[in-house]
Amino acid sequence: MSMRLPKQVGEWIKRDKEIHFTFEGQEYKGYEGDTITSALLAAGVKVLGRSFKYHRPRGVLSLANHDINALVTDGMDTNIRADVVTLSNGMQLKAVNTDGGVIKDKSKYIDSISPLLPVGFYYKAFHKPASLFPFWEKVIRKAAGLGIVNFNYPRINKRKLNAFCDVLVIGAGPSGLSAAISAAENGLEVILVDENQQLGGSLTYDYAGEEAAQKVLSDLVKRVSASSNIKVYAGAYAAGYYQDHMVPVVAADGITKVRAKAVIAATGAFEQPPVFHNNDLPGVMLGSAAQRMMHRYGVKPFKTGLVFTANAHGYRVALDLLKAGVNVSAIVDLRAEGQQDTQAIELANKGVKIHTGYCVYEALPFKGKLGVAGALICPYDEATATADVKQAVKLDCDGIAMSAGWAPAGALLYQSGMGVVYNNDIQQFVPNRLPKGVFAAGRVNGAFALEARVSDGLRAAAEVANLLGKSVKAQSVMPHQGTSPSHPYPFVHHPKGKNFVDFDEDIQIKDFINAAKEGFDNIELMKRFTTVGMGPSQGKHSNMNAIRILAKIRNLPVEKIGSTTARPFFHPTPMGHLGGRSFHAHRLTTIHAWHQAAGAAFVDVGAWSRPAYYQKAGLSKVEIVQQESLAVRKAVGMIDSSTLGKVEVCGPDAAEFLERFYTGVYRDQKVGRSRYVMLLDELGVMVDDGIATRIGQEKFFVTISTANAPAVYREMQRWLQVWKLNATLINVTSAYGVINVAGPKAYQVLSKLVTIDLSEDALPMGRSTEAEISGVPVRIVRAAFVAKEAYEVYMPSGYALNIWKLLLEAGKNEGICPFGTDTQRLLRLELGHPLPGVDTDGLTNPFEMRAEKALEMDKAFFIGKRSLEIIAKKPLNKALVPFVLPADYKGELPQDCNLVIESGAIKGRVTSVAFSPSAGRVIGLAYVAMHQAQLGNIFEIRTDNGKIAKATVVHAPFFNAE
Amino acid sequence: MKLLNCPVNGVRPLSEFIFGGECREMPNPETSTDLEWASYVHYRDNAPGIKKEWWYHSPSGTWFIAERNTLSDEVLSTYLHGKAPAKNTKEQSA
Amino acid sequence: MAYQLLKYALGGEYKEPRFFRDCQTPKKSYDAVIIGGGGHGLAAAYYLAKDHGITNVAVLEKGYIGGGNTGRNTTIVRSNYLTPDGVNFYDASVKLFEGLSTELDINLFYSNRGHFTLAHSESAMRTMRWRAEVNKHVGVKSRVVGTDEIAKACPQMDLSCSGKSPIQGALYHEPGSIARHDAVAWGYARGADSMGVEIFQNTEVQGIDIKDGQVQGVQTSRGYISTGKVLSAVAGFTPRICKMVDLKTPIVIHPLQACVSEPMKPWLDTILVSGSLHVYVSQSSRGELVMGSSLDPYEFHSTRSTFDFVEGLTSHIVDMFPFLSNVKIVRQWAGMADITPDFAPIMGMTPIKGFYLDAGWGTWGFKATPISGKTMAHTLANDKPHDLIHSFRLSRFEEYELTGEKGAASVGH
Repeated sequence: MSMRLPKQVGEWIKRDKEIHFTFEGQEYKGYEGDTITSALLAAGVKVLGRSFKYHRPRGVLSLANHDINALVTDGMDTNIRADVVTLSNGMQLKAVNTDGGVIKDKSKYIDSISPLLPVGFYYKAFHKPASLFPFWEKVIRKAAGLGIVNFNYPRINKRKLNAFCDVLVIGAGPSGLSAAISAAENGLEVILVDENQQLGGSLTYDYAGEEAAQKVLSDLVKRVSASSNIKVYAGAYAAGYYQDHMVPVVAADGITKVRAKAVIAATGAFEQPPVFHNNDLPGVMLGSAAQRMMHRYGVKPFKTGLVFTANAHGYRVALDLLKAGVNVSAIVDLRAEGQQDTQAIELANKGVKIHTGYCVYEALPFKGKLGVAGALICPYDEATATADVKQAVKLDCDGIAMSAGWAPAGALLYQSGMGVVYNNDIQQFVPNRLPKGVFAAGRVNGAFALEARVSDGLRAAAEVANLLGKSVKAQSVMPHQGTSPSHPYPFVHHPKGKNFVDFDEDIQIKDFINAAKEGFDNIELMKRFTTVGMGPSQGKHSNMNAIRILAKIRNLPVEKIGSTTARPFFHPTPMGHLGGRSFHAHRLTTIHAWHQAAGAAFVDVGAWSRPAYYQKAGLSKVEIVQQESLAVRKAVGMIDSSTLGKVEVCGPDAAEFLERFYTGVYRDQKVGRSRYVMLLDELGVMVDDGIATRIGQEKFFVTISTANAPAVYREMQRWLQVWKLNATLINVTSAYGVINVAGPKAYQVLSKLVTIDLSEDALPMGRSTEAEISGVPVRIVRAAFVAKEAYEVYMPSGYALNIWKLLLEAGKNEGICPFGTDTQRLLRLELGHPLPGVDTDGLTNPFEMRAEKALEMDKAFFIGKRSLEIIAKKPLNKALVPFVLPADYKGELPQDCNLVIESGAIKGRVTSVAFSPSAGRVIGLAYVAMHQAQLGNIFEIRTDNGKIAKATVVHAPFFNAE
Repeated sequence: MKLLNCPVNGVRPLSEFIFGGECREMPNPETSTDLEWASYVHYRDNAPGIKKEWWYHSPSGTWFIAERNTLSDEVLSTYLHGKAPAKNTKEQSA
Repeated sequence: MAYQLLKYALGGEYKEPRFFRDCQTPKKSYDAVIIGGGGHGLAAAYYLAKDHGITNVAVLEKGYIGGGNTGRNTTIVRSNYLTPDGVNFYDASVKLFEGLSTELDINLFYSNRGHFTLAHSESAMRTMRWRAEVNKHVGVKSRVVGTDEIAKACPQMDLSCSGKSPIQGALYHEPGSIARHDAVAWGYARGADSMGVEIFQNTEVQGIDIKDGQVQGVQTSRGYISTGKVLSAVAGFTPRICKMVDLKTPIVIHPLQACVSEPMKPWLDTILVSGSLHVYVSQSSRGELVMGSSLDPYEFHSTRSTFDFVEGLTSHIVDMFPFLSNVKIVRQWAGMADITPDFAPIMGMTPIKGFYLDAGWGTWGFKATPISGKTMAHTLANDKPHDLIHSFRLSRFEEYELTGEKGAASVGH
């Protein structure tokens, strides 16, 4: 039973290319260019899906990307919008949200029990008794949702592009096309976006039969393609408006982020359904949907139908239907005065019966509500919004086209900060305040007549040109003439309800009335209580009607009701598009490849990837770490520390800068000496530590811990600007590689590579020296972070790998062992050095760390000093202490962050703990209460499994490194 | 995405910048009372309005001051710390 | 008038009464005035009436009830905090929530789904253990779990996060739940109203009258109201109210954004949070994925949305769930979060007599709705802070006694 019409002028399908697919197990064919819906309708299929809540059969409503009741799945993808997604060969489609198929859906009984489910029913049931809620919840969750997600759906990374233009025109209808052409003619670079593949907007279906209108369209389209200043993005939608005129444009292959100097929204209007009993039956559709079907896809919407209207558009729809061979049994016009134009006369002349001051009281279903069997029409009193049912007449039909009004597609304008006013001449909200650089044109701006839409586009383009520095004559637009395109109250109340306002969420008129009765009588509360506009179509066909109903309920003008906020996105947008290719950037040292080849297990430290340890077959991580640490204690090890933050502070005030920035004294520091630096924040909280080496009278070389380096360097820059000192900062983090050679044989190994004397006498702790390794200048610093006998070797980072290899070779006989950060953690713990961020948290002050030594409180100023003076007056609550477990401890090993417990109360926590093979026992650092902190005190740690480990406070370092 | 005008590098997208908080005058640590100091470090002028803020242009390492309306997100001017445009001084003295 | 007309159009009389009266004209004076008709303000009004018999109370709401952060959060309820004080406080809230549907006779869809805080690094695992240990100590069911248990609870997730940030384990918090946020506000509004509390919507506070350090009354868009006690429970608007009484706080306002997917048949049964990926996600009883991320990076007193947020969030979501590539985001929105430097609220008395503060809720306010109402009601009624909120006092900042929640500055909400 084909509904396909003969070839239409301007149709979007290619009849020479057949496409085969199945729907609900049945085979069908369509043409290239068909949407899933149009192909199914052409094949005579009317029931496309089931509704969300009541599981009522539904067909086409808008054919404009808000037919939420016609979502299908192809088994892999789901929630596919049949009304706009084009057909492709081999599709095997099923409606979502059915239990046993779209016709036999076992959940259809819900429709018949709907009186039990009034608005907000789920707030009023299932919670008593509380013990049963989990059961009901399972039932409800089973009913929730639409499509079933396929967990095997592949990850799709979509590209993202940036584009820039003078003016972005959104919408390629008559006003958008005119605006784009005019802007381009004024020398502006234009991007023109339209969600359809074909330009023309409503002119591709409305007025589609009229020669004059067709000429306007083909002329506009020709001029657009001829213009070199216009870039067209067809089949792409503007997803939202974001600050500073940024509009993401979403196409099938990815998102283009368009940044424009000005934006013209020529986004048109959404047709709104009049509301009557059974207005949701398959076969009842918007007039514009019927027109789209006929003119774009060459499909007859129904055989015999009537047009339920309240504006001039309905009459054009009726003429189109007639032309397509539909038997138009009547025009039912809600307005007492009807329509007095040429179309009305033409229709009357063609014998179409026009009932003015009438409504469709109900659509009559045929069996199973699978379609329309007829309509009951009766007189309607606009003043009281009541139908005179006694005079009802039954008309036979298999379809109803509805045209009663429009809602501006103003989402992007709202997002930009538009203010609106309600225009009574057209019964529509129109902009009365737009932010700088944002313009509206066409129906969204209240221009409905074709000429008005064209001239409104020209007007907007002229305003844009003048804003962007051109001098262009202002354009004027004729105010609206004739009848209103929208009816103020196209609602027919019915005792049985089922007169749907929101098709996504199955919301009827009485739901609004009842919600208002319960006190949800402002638009935002009503939206939340009824869930109107919260479905996937985001209120495109329901928000305006909800506002009109509420205005009536509250007896207020529509504009007093206001509207809900229009949030992005204009159309739901896939996460793969939005996320794009996700990047996870790592910084690698110049020795990284060697680490990799040596089997390093890597760990993220800040942005860096660092070896945690070097894997060895058959050994656990703990065993490896112990081996590596023993190598350092007994012979020599080396670690790639190139990730350390490194900053040169240069200039006459370099020392003064450090004095203010860090807690210690640097003024009297001699060249060639290194000192510990500790950074606090203004609250006196410990932030970071490192080493400052004076490498010249006016030059310090400062290290920052790897993870903190970017933030600390930023703070250095900020304070330098505030203090206005005569100093410069140079971030040399990536310029230098660092290799730390540590252990009793470090001296021996390193000495093989340099000519200078590295002995304890020549280079004691805290000294630094310049040297050369294989012709490469290096700096060697004696620092004792992981071992007493340790050298930090700094070299230009390009030479780090080479020197690393030279060290390996030089240390062969000594058994030099590369080690990673896990081992480093153990080694520094053995020395008792707290690690910022591990042994401190976001509130730790230096007193709690017992780091008074690092503070020079006699200095005039350092960051955090004034706060420390205040803190020093208060009793200290806790202190960081080194502890050991008994040498024969056999219990569960305590973990970092296990708690210190005394008499059932939390007194502190372990911050670092490990078995030290060098100390021969478990050692650690912990915060304890002050009364527990004295040397030799025994305190209790509770392990993961609730066992108690008795720990003794000791002195660090934990071992004697003979 | 918002745009911001770095006084050194010109207009760049917001993703290149790091917000550094309100730019506040430190009271003299030697003469301020404990309470005044505690108030300085903890409390903020947090009602909406035009604020002087620190912003950092990350790729170039430039700290600067932005005068921004925290209610509308409009940036009135940007300049390096201590180098407020002359126009502003005039307005203040007028 | 229209009501009557429409009623005729209906078959039967709809018997459900109003949730709360449509109050238009305030009395000259109230025993207490609560600024802010969100969950917190309404809960405080409810418990003032119920626990303390103080019913001569007005709630003033600038917009509509529950329209601020109550209606903008991602509805997660949990108590797996870091400090014993924090855990005790939020645990008391969880317990009130569990009985709230029954008490308020409204189905809040309080849905116990379990809550995983995913750890992608060893340092994150340390923090999880810290929280678990404190939680266990206080008697709250939280424990560190390995990847096997995560995989069992959410077999669909790619535990390697597309190879970018492998999950090492998680803190599992059994009581973690989600609820229907709006209904919490409506339930408290109805409960408070039924005991005599008057709720005024579309009523803006324009000034607070103070004499000799004592609150005298409130100037509103509906006229002057005299009262000796004012509670400010206005979240993102706290700085504006505090400015009226010249009260300094450390609060900074940052937008917090969220978004929701189109509905799909439920498959995600737990609540998942990843601090490193800045993601939290659960699936609502409507079948939508409700997702949030970290705070916006700068101060802003507005609820605008940004594209950066949704780009960042979805890229991480797809890392965790590659099969969601073609699942669509329907809507994004934002709230104004009142952030404190130590990630704990500011509750209780202020230096101004009769001015009480319930603020600093940042990203963690919804879950505290019942307990904040209860403890603030107690504080107002007795003019003495409730024991549970002692560590949340405003003066803690001047006293350098910040709460330890700052210690584990992982994602909060």
